[in-house]
Amino acid sequence: MRLFLAFLATLLLAGPAAAQHHGHGKPAVTPEAFTATPAFGPDGTLWLMRATADRIVVVKSTDLGKTFSEPVAVTPEPMNLDWGPDARARIAVDPKGGVIVTFAIFQDRNFNGRAFYARSRDGGASFTPPRPITTDKTSQRFETAAIDPSSGRVFATWLDKRNGAKARTAGKPYPGAALAYAWEDGDADFGKTEIAVDNTCECCRLGVAFAGPGRPAIVFRNIFPGSVRDHAVVTFKDATTPGPLRRVSADDWKIEACPHHGPTIAIAPDGSYHVAWFTDAPSRKGLFYARADNGNVPFGAPRALSSPNRQPARPYLLSDGQALHLVWKEFDGTKSMVRWQVSRDSGRQWTDARTIAETADASDHPLLVAHGGHAYLSWLTKIEGYRLISLENQP
Amino acid sequence: MTKAAILALLLALAPLCNAHAADPQPFERGSWAKLRTAHEGRPTIVHLWGLTCAPCLVELPHWAKLQKERPDMRLVLLAADPVPQPPARVEEMLARTGLDKVESWSFADRFNERLRFEIDPAWSGELPRTLLIDRDGKITTMPGVADLADVRRWLDQQGKR
Repeated sequence: MRLFLAFLATLLLAGPAAAQHHGHGKPAVTPEAFTATPAFGPDGTLWLMRATADRIVVVKSTDLGKTFSEPVAVTPEPMNLDWGPDARARIAVDPKGGVIVTFAIFQDRNFNGRAFYARSRDGGASFTPPRPITTDKTSQRFETAAIDPSSGRVFATWLDKRNGAKARTAGKPYPGAALAYAWEDGDADFGKTEIAVDNTCECCRLGVAFAGPGRPAIVFRNIFPGSVRDHAVVTFKDATTPGPLRRVSADDWKIEACPHHGPTIAIAPDGSYHVAWFTDAPSRKGLFYARADNGNVPFGAPRALSSPNRQPARPYLLSDGQALHLVWKEFDGTKSMVRWQVSRDSGRQWTDARTIAETADASDHPLLVAHGGHAYLSWLTKIEGYRLISLENQP
Repeated sequence: MTKAAILALLLALAPLCNAHAADPQPFERGSWAKLRTAHEGRPTIVHLWGLTCAPCLVELPHWAKLQKERPDMRLVLLAADPVPQPPARVEEMLARTGLDKVESWSFADRFNERLRFEIDPAWSGELPRTLLIDRDGKITTMPGVADLADVRRWLDQQGKR
């Protein structure tokens, strides 16, 4: 009886909320990255970067994702990986088959990040120990590496908080973060970090495409005057000269909040720009697409991709050399689905949106990847696992 | 004292414990309907925030201040982080801001599309967000950091009705 009373007292003190947590038989929630990021090598090998709570691994497939090699760890020790909903460990393969991976960790409980990279020159059998992308330790997140197709040189860009910290020390306001970049400097390291744009939104993924040799173009959520968080593209004039900021759309989404929802960009062989993004402005809600004939003219009128009541999210654009592909996620109340549109006239006309995959539980962003003029959807879902779906063979 | 009597006592005391719940309640599929039913007919403010949302953490102390100023306010806090956070950390943050006695929930399913859809199909997850629910169940949504002057006005209107 005394034991029983003690048991009751414990229950009583712990309260029903605690009892509920234990009663569900679920382990304590630990935030964890749930991402798979693909890249094709020059030989058609599919490389896949997988992230979990404390490690990232690389696997590869020579049969378009049907079977994968044994995982190779990039992080030798457990690390506190950035699990933010718009963050992901990434992989890129250069024209010679060299592999570079990038990822970020949380340095502290305030979500200050530290971005790392590692390389493999032995076909992914081993990776160099991860090294920081930049020497400044303030905070880096949403690191994105892209390979200049003309030279094979690696370009890295990320959101950096160093100028915010400096401003705070000087007692000056500094909204958001800065868009930082660095180029690979020989085999060993990245060169000096430069800031391309100050006061960008701090919590959204970036999109990168190449406008020409040594000329990356970055799309990002900017902070325009009055805390308006709309999108802009910066195209480099040459490798070290970021061009002017070109606004994609005047949505006028004024918000002091964290959208965690970044844009996507593709540049077609004809030099046309294509951007898709999410906004929740009073006059424009949901996902939108816009195109521009080249890097010097304004973007055209935004086109809505879905009804805002279907939670349209996570757009992704890709030019496979012949066609432009656009995918995004929608939710119908039960299932998440990936919608797909294709354009064969530089984004002027698009096919009707079609569902190409769906799932009834949690899922990663839908991504696109191409090799030899063939485009594929790459999608990690909790129930089905990883899927690579050919877009050419769709009915 | 019989076992039955102790059980009866336990059941009688349970709702009191709920008011001092140590942890946020796990917000899962169907939780929104439960929450709405529990507050039906009474003006209620549901404030959606997140541990991973910096502006939310700046805003929280203002809600604590308003709660002290307006004890008549029925406030429910829902941590809607897109990647579910450890309940202990949610509670720790609320304790730090003096909101640990307020009814509190926390997203407990990674399939957050479904949780968000139940609350508002058009909500894409941006935080913070405040829902003012009047006694007829009509919801006024305040996206972003709430203007508390507007919230006070709304509370005053509810009192006059």
